[in-house]
Amino acid sequence: MKKLDAFLLILLIIFSFFALFPIYWTVITALKVNSEIFTIPPVFFPTKITFSNFYTPGTTFGEVSQTAFGSFPWLINSTIIALASSLIGTFVIGAPAAYALTRYLKNVWFARLILFMMMIPEAAFIIPFYVIITKLNMINTWWGLILVYISFTAPLSTWLLMGFFSDIPKSVEEAASIDGLSAFSTFYKIALPMVIPGIMVSIILNFINAWNEFIYALVLTYTPFPTGAQTVPLYLTDFIVIEKSFAWGGLAAAGVIVMLPSIILGIYAQKYLVKGWTMGAVKE
Amino acid sequence: MDNGGSEGIMSEVIVENVTKKFGNFVALDNVNLTIKPKEFFVLLGPSGSGKTTLLRLIAGLEDITEGSIYIGGKKVNDVPPKDRNVAMVFQNYALYPHFNVFDNIALTLKVRGYSKDAIKSRVSEIAKILHIEDILNKKPRELSGGQQQRVALARALVREPSVFLLDEPLSNLDAKLRVEARSFLRSLQKEVGVTTVFVTHDQSEAMALATTIAVLDKGIIKQVGDPYELYTKPKDIFTAGFIGSPAMNMIPGKLVKDGSSWRFVSEDFSVQLINTEFENEYDVILGIRPEHITLVKDDGINAKINNVEPMGAVTYLDIQVGSVELTVQYTGLIKLEAGMEIKVKFVEEKMLFYDRKTEKLLNV
Ligand SMILES: Nc1ncnc2c1ncn2[C@@H]1O[C@H](COP(=O)(O)OP(=O)(O)O)[C@@H](O)[C@H]1O
Ligand SMILES: [Mg+2]
Repeated sequence: MKKLDAFLLILLIIFSFFALFPIYWTVITALKVNSEIFTIPPVFFPTKITFSNFYTPGTTFGEVSQTAFGSFPWLINSTIIALASSLIGTFVIGAPAAYALTRYLKNVWFARLILFMMMIPEAAFIIPFYVIITKLNMINTWWGLILVYISFTAPLSTWLLMGFFSDIPKSVEEAASIDGLSAFSTFYKIALPMVIPGIMVSIILNFINAWNEFIYALVLTYTPFPTGAQTVPLYLTDFIVIEKSFAWGGLAAAGVIVMLPSIILGIYAQKYLVKGWTMGAVKE
Repeated sequence: MDNGGSEGIMSEVIVENVTKKFGNFVALDNVNLTIKPKEFFVLLGPSGSGKTTLLRLIAGLEDITEGSIYIGGKKVNDVPPKDRNVAMVFQNYALYPHFNVFDNIALTLKVRGYSKDAIKSRVSEIAKILHIEDILNKKPRELSGGQQQRVALARALVREPSVFLLDEPLSNLDAKLRVEARSFLRSLQKEVGVTTVFVTHDQSEAMALATTIAVLDKGIIKQVGDPYELYTKPKDIFTAGFIGSPAMNMIPGKLVKDGSSWRFVSEDFSVQLINTEFENEYDVILGIRPEHITLVKDDGINAKINNVEPMGAVTYLDIQVGSVELTVQYTGLIKLEAGMEIKVKFVEEKMLFYDRKTEKLLNV
């Protein structure tokens, strides 16, 4: 047992290194002075820290880039689109669908279909979605991206919440029906509040997915707020000033801004994932 | 309690030819019961006998396969639980974990459109009766088992239901609390006067609470009667063995006509019967309760003591009579030891004879 624990620990350290090093690299690059960004061998522990990458445009080979703080109009779009597709995916589709599938339509094939849909790469549908969103006149609009993103937030929420709903003791809902609640009231007054940890996880994962999405945003949007719906991952690409030339400092600084919500939410979701899922209503 | 338009406080429950199947499995087999208004009716049976299923059918939580159920004279087969005006206490209490105690109790009143003031006064009234006034702001998970049970009772009692259904509500309590809760429940039910169906597998609980007991085994109602009847004249071997603790002694033997009187003959002894008559000679099982075996000086059946268990008010003796071991209850303490030889006698009026084939009581 002890040997296995040590082995797992080493494995975890290696994985953590792979996961965390890029984040560390982005953060230190964002805080480095220009002279320490372009060195070989690279500087792992910067000697000087500066915030200038956040507000001054970088210059590479004479070309002037944008600034990290200039991402504000893109951030607005990202926030609205990610929030809307996360909340709609969770509350309007995911939770009711998951509840219906665990309580009424106990059809495994439907559940498997949802899982199957989640396994298909999102980009596989890019042409049909392009056609649909064009036909709907929603190119370069919030709703265009929101609709597309719901197509992957909703299945994830449904799948996730099915597990949470099936963990609720049936008798609590039966008690509600005896207390006189309708099926719908039982769902939203009793069942839904009992899966709040699942709802939180669903909102956060959906938000992060939508926030980070790149391909659809690239294809379906072309200008930032207020004229269009371009999201913040696209802003990052604009740090490529001319071909093969990157404004590294500004890119890293903007990268930090973009990563921040995902990291904070990720840490927050972890608390809910780890937390016990039943809440002591029932004495078994 | 003030009575807010409770249509069914005097409700009678009639279960008529009810059969419940889960797939091919018959959980309840042609059950017929009449539960009178205000009665404390106990469904008694071992685990898996179908008690919960029957309660759930009355509540409307399961569909009836065949037959009908009437509550307060109205057929309710197709009435959903929320419209049956029954209240139920689940075995696991099933409290709403995200509501505090007050809201747990108040929800049903809110749904029924009571005013804020009415809700407040009713909840505090029932909370006082159940001694939970101090915990109204706590969440279920912060409560002890006994408190959770009382909250579950309060939730059921806060409105006056037509029928009060309780599924082994005391089984999670420790022994002392359970005995307290019994007498409390009994007096509460008298006070509120709601028709009550109480499920338990514990025969002593049934005896202590019931005005009427129905004994259920493998989905079949074996006997319905008051506790006295069930204890003194159990109609079949199952009921005889199930009711009473320690259990009734069962001795296989034969009823033989001996001149003008009858005789019970077992492998190891025989007993002359003076006042009992039968139609035929039968293979029987003699049932005799431990308190109906007496110790005698002479002219008795020879027995050897296997074990002595002094309880204070009574002493239990395990005795060996030939190949059968019997339990004897002696009133008071007695100085006896394992290994001693004694003589015993059966009280004839208390001897119950069951046909070995039909397992039915032969005494009239
Ligand atoms: N939903 C169900 N599906 C299949 N079988 C069930 C179901 N509910 C109960 N049963 C079966 O019916 C029988 C009676 O169960 P139950 O009414 O819970 O018994 P009790 O409450 O007396 O212990 C048991 O054998 C049980 O396995
Ligand atoms: Mg049961």
